[in-house]
Parts: sequence; C-alpha cells; structure tokens
Amino acid sequence: MGRALSIDSLMPYFGVVLLIIAGSFLFPQVLSADYLTQQLQIAAFLGLLATGATVVILLGHIDLSVPWVLTGAAILSTALVGSGNPVLSALAVPAALAFGALIGVINGIGVAILRIPSMVWTLAVNSMLLGLAVLNTGGFNPRGESSALMITMASGDLLGLPVSFLIWIAVSAALAYFLTRTPFGRYLRAIGFNEKATFLSGVSTPSVVFAAFAIAGMCSALGGVLLAGYANQAYQSMGDPFLLPTIAAVVIGGTSILGGRGGLFGTIGGALFITLLTSILSVMQIDDAWRNIIFGVIILAMLLFQTLRKGAAP
Amino acid sequence: MADSPSPLLEMQDISMHFGATKALDGVDFTCNAGEVHAVLGENGAGKSTLMKLIAGVLQPTYGQLRVEGRDVFLGSPKAALDHGLVCMFQELSLVPDLTVRENLLLGAPGAGLGWLRGQGLDKARAVLTRIGGTDIRLGARVEDLTLPQRQQVEIAKAIMKKPRLLILDEATSALSASVVESVFDLVREERDSGTAVLFISHRFHEIEALADRVSVFRNGQRVATFMKGDHDYGAIINMMVGQKIEELFPEKQPGAHQSDIVLDVRNFSWEDQVKDVSLTVRRGQIVGLGGLDGQGQGTFLMGLVGLLRKTQGTTAIAGEPSEITSPKSAKHRDIGLAYIPEDRKTEGLILDQSIQENLELAALGRADLDAGDPTLYAGSLEQLALKHGGLELPVSSLSGGNQQKVVLAKWLALGPRCLLLADPTRGIDVKTKTQIYTILRQLADQGTAILLLSTDYEELIQLCDETHIFFEGRIAASLSGDDLTPQNIIAATLNVSAIPQAAHA
Repeated sequence: MGRALSIDSLMPYFGVVLLIIAGSFLFPQVLSADYLTQQLQIAAFLGLLATGATVVILLGHIDLSVPWVLTGAAILSTALVGSGNPVLSALAVPAALAFGALIGVINGIGVAILRIPSMVWTLAVNSMLLGLAVLNTGGFNPRGESSALMITMASGDLLGLPVSFLIWIAVSAALAYFLTRTPFGRYLRAIGFNEKATFLSGVSTPSVVFAAFAIAGMCSALGGVLLAGYANQAYQSMGDPFLLPTIAAVVIGGTSILGGRGGLFGTIGGALFITLLTSILSVMQIDDAWRNIIFGVIILAMLLFQTLRKGAAP
Repeated sequence: MADSPSPLLEMQDISMHFGATKALDGVDFTCNAGEVHAVLGENGAGKSTLMKLIAGVLQPTYGQLRVEGRDVFLGSPKAALDHGLVCMFQELSLVPDLTVRENLLLGAPGAGLGWLRGQGLDKARAVLTRIGGTDIRLGARVEDLTLPQRQQVEIAKAIMKKPRLLILDEATSALSASVVESVFDLVREERDSGTAVLFISHRFHEIEALADRVSVFRNGQRVATFMKGDHDYGAIINMMVGQKIEELFPEKQPGAHQSDIVLDVRNFSWEDQVKDVSLTVRRGQIVGLGGLDGQGQGTFLMGLVGLLRKTQGTTAIAGEPSEITSPKSAKHRDIGLAYIPEDRKTEGLILDQSIQENLELAALGRADLDAGDPTLYAGSLEQLALKHGGLELPVSSLSGGNQQKVVLAKWLALGPRCLLLADPTRGIDVKTKTQIYTILRQLADQGTAILLLSTDYEELIQLCDETHIFFEGRIAASLSGDDLTPQNIIAATLNVSAIPQAAHA
C-alpha cells in the first residue's frame, strides 16, 4: 500500500534509528542483541494496545477505557488460572478476549446508538470497570497466577525473537489486511472522514462502530493477558500508565486524531519509538521530573514536525 | 417619497462572485430613509447576497457602497452596525443556550469587552410586549422558546439596536397573522421616524400591505424598481421569471405517463413537516418537487430513503410494499432507490478521499456487485464527461460540477430503479447543468423513475413531466402538460390560488 508508507508513518522509524544511534554513544550496550530484543518484547505490550486504539481513532473516536479493560482482562485470566481447575485455566485467554470484546460492544452502543461522545462514554466505562474490579477484590491485589501459555506469550522466545513481539506483529498484519482489503476497512476510514456521507451511501455505520470498538477491546484485553503473563500476576491499576503512551504511539505513527487518515504500519513505529525513548531516558538515570519533561518535549516536537510539514505541502 | 440628494444607502455597480458563479452582477441599488423597500426574486436571484453585503457578512468583489453619500467599507457585521445597518436574517441568529436577555445584549451598543449595560433592555421589553410577546420572559432560555417566539425576540433585538436601515429577511415567516400585523405597525412607526426598511418576503399580501417601493431581482441583476401599485401580480411574476432557456433542456418523451408505476407513495406524513403526501413516479418519468425552501419537500425525500423515524404512510416499489428504514435498505437490490443528497460536500462525498474511493462507497455494500470493477463507473463517467487528472486524486480537487458528477456516477453504478435527487444542480455552471439534464433524461428513457427536487423553476418546467409544488408540508398543486407554466408554479409556491392572468380582469 502506497498510502501505508507515507512519510508520516515512516517518521517514528527514523526516530527509532536516531534514538539507537544517539543512545549507543552514551551506552554502547544499547546496540546489543539482548537489549534490542528486550525492547521488542516490551514494545509489544504498548503496541497491542496502540493497534486497537488505531482502529478506533481511524473511526474518528477514542477509547479511554484501555487501562481498565487491560486490568480487568488480567484479573479475569489470572483468577481463572488461579482457580486450579484445568478447564477454567484453559479458558483464561479466550475468556479475557471475550471480556474485551464485550466491553468494546458496550462502548460501541454508547457511541453509535446513544450518540454520546466517545471521550466521555469510554471514560465512564473505564471508571465503572475500576469500581467493579475494586468491588471484586476488596481493593487488595487480586489473587491468581498466570498459566504457562500466558507466560510463554509474554516472555517466550521463538527463532530468537520474543513471542510477544511476534504476536503483536501477527495481530497488526491481520488487522492491516482487514483494514485495506475489506469493505470494513474502507467504511472505517470513510466514517472517520465523514460519518454522514458514509451513512447516506447506504452503510450501516453502527455495525462498523461496534466492530471497531470490539476489536479495540480485544486488543486491550490481549495486552492485559500478556502483561499478566509478564508479571505472573494481575494488580490494581496495572493499565493506568499505558493510556497516554498508547494514544501518543498512534498519533506519532501518523494517524490523524480526527479520524480517517493513517494506518497500523505507523503505529508499530510509534510504539517502538515510545518504548525505546522511555527505556533510554530511564537508563540515563536522570531525575523523574526531567524525564517526563523530555518525554513530552520530544513527542510535541514530532507532532509539530508533522503539522509543519503538512502546512508546507498541503 | 421624494429622493433626497444622497440616499441613506447607495450601492453602485456591485458584483459578487463565488468562484465562477456570479451571485450579483453589476447591481445599482438605493434605499432611502423613511421608506419600506421590498425586494423580490426567485431563490438564487441574489437577494440574500445583497442583504449580506449590506450587513457586512460578505464583501463585494467589485463595486462601492455609500451611506449618506460617503464611501464606506463594511468589513464585518460590526462595521455595518456602526453605520446603523441592522439585519434580521431568515436563518435565526440567536444562541440557543443563552437566555433571551443575554441574547439581546449580544452585540448591543456598548457591550463589547467590558461591562454589560442593560439600558437597551427596556426598549426590547417594550417591543416584545407590543408585538404580542408578553409571555416571553427575559430569563427564559432561547432553546425553550417556540419558533415564532424566537422570531419575536429577533425582531426586538434588531429594533433595540436603533437601526437607520433595518433589513427584514423573511422576518415574519413563522408568525401568525395577528402578530404579523403588530410587527407591521411597528415597522411603519420606525419608517415614519426616518428609518429605512428593506423587506424581503415571498408573501405577496405582505408586500402589498407594507412596501412603498418594490425592486425585482433575477439571476443576480436588478430587473426593475417601481412604486407599489405600478404593476400587478402577473407582471411582477413575469419579471421574476424572465426569459426562457429551453435550449438547455433535452426534449421530453411523450407517453411516460402510461408506463408502470415504480414508486408509489401514499399518505406520507412526518411530524408536522410533511402532511399527507401521495404521489407516484412511473418508469421513464421525471417528476419534480418544488416550492419555497423548507416547505417539506426536502424532508419528504429524506423520509423516502429511511432517514426519518416514525413516518406515516406507505411506500410501494414496483407494486411491492416496502419498509425502507435506512439508506442501506433503500439501496438493496430489491428496492433500488438511490438518493443524491442536497449538500454534495458534506453529505454526498467524502472530500478527503479519492475519486475512486468515493465512487465505490455505495456499491461496496451490495453483495451482487463488485465495487472494484471499473466498468461499473466507466459508462456514466464517460456520459457525464467527468474532467479529472486521475481517479486516485482527492475528490476535493474537482470543481463543484465535477464533484456532483462523481456523486451521480457513484449511485448510477448500482443501476437504481428510482433516483431521488435533492437540488442536484445548485451552484453548478450552466454547461454541467446541461450535461446533468441530458443524463437524467437518458436514464428516464432507459426506464429509470426519477424524482427531482429543485429550486430552479426552469428545471421543474423544462425537465419534469409532472411537478408537485409543496406549501407548508402539503402538495399545494400538481402541474403537468400545459399547466406547467412559471406563473402557475410561482402562484402555487406562494399558495395564491388565483392564476395571474386573472389579475388583469
């Protein structure tokens, strides 16, 4: 796809290369295979969340329920495994995905049927999920553990690459195919640009919205399953630090926050870039406050660059 | 009313171009203090543009405005207000979420960035009381008012600005007869105290009651100005219509009125906007829908493709009763309706996407069609002579006329049985209009049933086999054959039952 390889979507990859080069001057170990594969493994968590967020943002909406869909899926899957029952244990991953899809459909109902702005509705859903989780666990860390499958998904290696990274790329590739080769993908972008014209063209826009939010919910849930496998447990608020980096990864990857324009190829770069930036900033062992400021400045600079470039060549 | 040496407002050689469209073309116009000057013309004759120039909303492409003999430049509504030029637009300009009081104070003299002062409010209250708005509380939110009440607030808001020239653009369209009478009394009083009033109305009896002088506009030019009573209705309507442009239109085919009925609508109603409308469209027929803006004809079309909830009445397609609940069901092969919406930029097209993507969007949802097949579109694109630099370019790179061709081709790809069009030629150059007329007639000849909403009388007469004129949600008249004359159409749009020729008697 010519469109998928736009300059906007290549930007974060240039950023990744620059970060690696600059980082290697300060810390030569940045160039080691161990460090780089570890970054790919960690980037997969953010990347899966950002994949789902891309689908929703292409639609012109936003999903702020990512943190607690993630946490809920992690709690659910570890609790099922922790029950000790082999059947429930085997169902852990599918159940978590179904949970994500269910929340996605609830999000879709609020946005497509009740016509409540997604920013408000998904935030409310996020808050309610938080409440449910606290009710369920009494505010303590939930009990349970991860299954061998979950641990392999999060920390395993296959052909020298992290399994989590392979899962992320596989999900991205499947969705990218879906977005570029099916009417669903076409409708998704069309709604992102102009929902009214799309509806008047005889498209059942609510079903597209449902599907998009369901995909996003499943991506968030899969991210939660992987994170639970990585930590071998679920814990309260495990998703909270991920919300803003998720949206940042999508936008840095060249997807317009207004909908319609963009794609998953850029999002992969965006997630890699943000993971690497976070990692290098923390390896530099500078003050937390400065780390946050530098993080913000670099993201602003990348977005500013995109905007200026568009202004120059409309 | 004797002409003073320098009239209150003088417009000299004013032209207003929107791209290739000349909304006004070399217009001279004057308005004197102490007179009510009525402005008449069809939709698109340039009246509204003229008012917007005076109100400072638009700036003329060429020409000069003078207030009391001095050259002025009205760069903004504020500048116009400073000269005492106040406009009450037909699109209501109140902020729904604010109270009546807050709305009245918006833009009131001395209410810029600074303290709000309430001294104008007494006057506004008095005006409201005079024009029958005693029950309008200043603390009520505008959102909670009825349409007539909002119009009364608009009038009070305009009067409290102490205008030297007051523009009333369809100011009384929602008001009942007794309220209109008290508004007119107020306007006469303002006139007698030296205010100039520009009055736009489509209701002849209102012009009869209020105007001192009348100007008629047509196709962006002022055709005539005369004292009220110099010409009768028939003559004025003839001035509004002007000469014929028959050569633009393809020839009608006789015999279509006997073919099979494709679309049969019975007793269609929706809320209070469409009332008991029944009509049929046959194979090969082009049926027109006319009327002034907002008389229910546009709503009716939207209802046919399932855009409205809780409509009443029945729709049958080729004899089969059909439930059409959404555009998706309307385009299904068994129904085969295609709807070309009114606003091609926001409803018909996705401007950010390519021509190709826009063409495919309607066909994508039809299982029996392969949307990626270029032959679906090639025929109609060729017939329409679409000018483009490549189908992969954004559709926004095309001119307005070519954009409309893309919308047409997108729907023709589905091979619709019945084509519904909402004013497809609005704002389009004459050459493209002719191409669209030709393809519509060809489609009709090939058996498509066409329902065409138009604001252009010529289209309703020259292109349509039968025309229904809407007035206040009902079909006021159904005209065909020799009855399909401009005079009859205008009379029906104004709901004047008398045929103009009778006025000579």
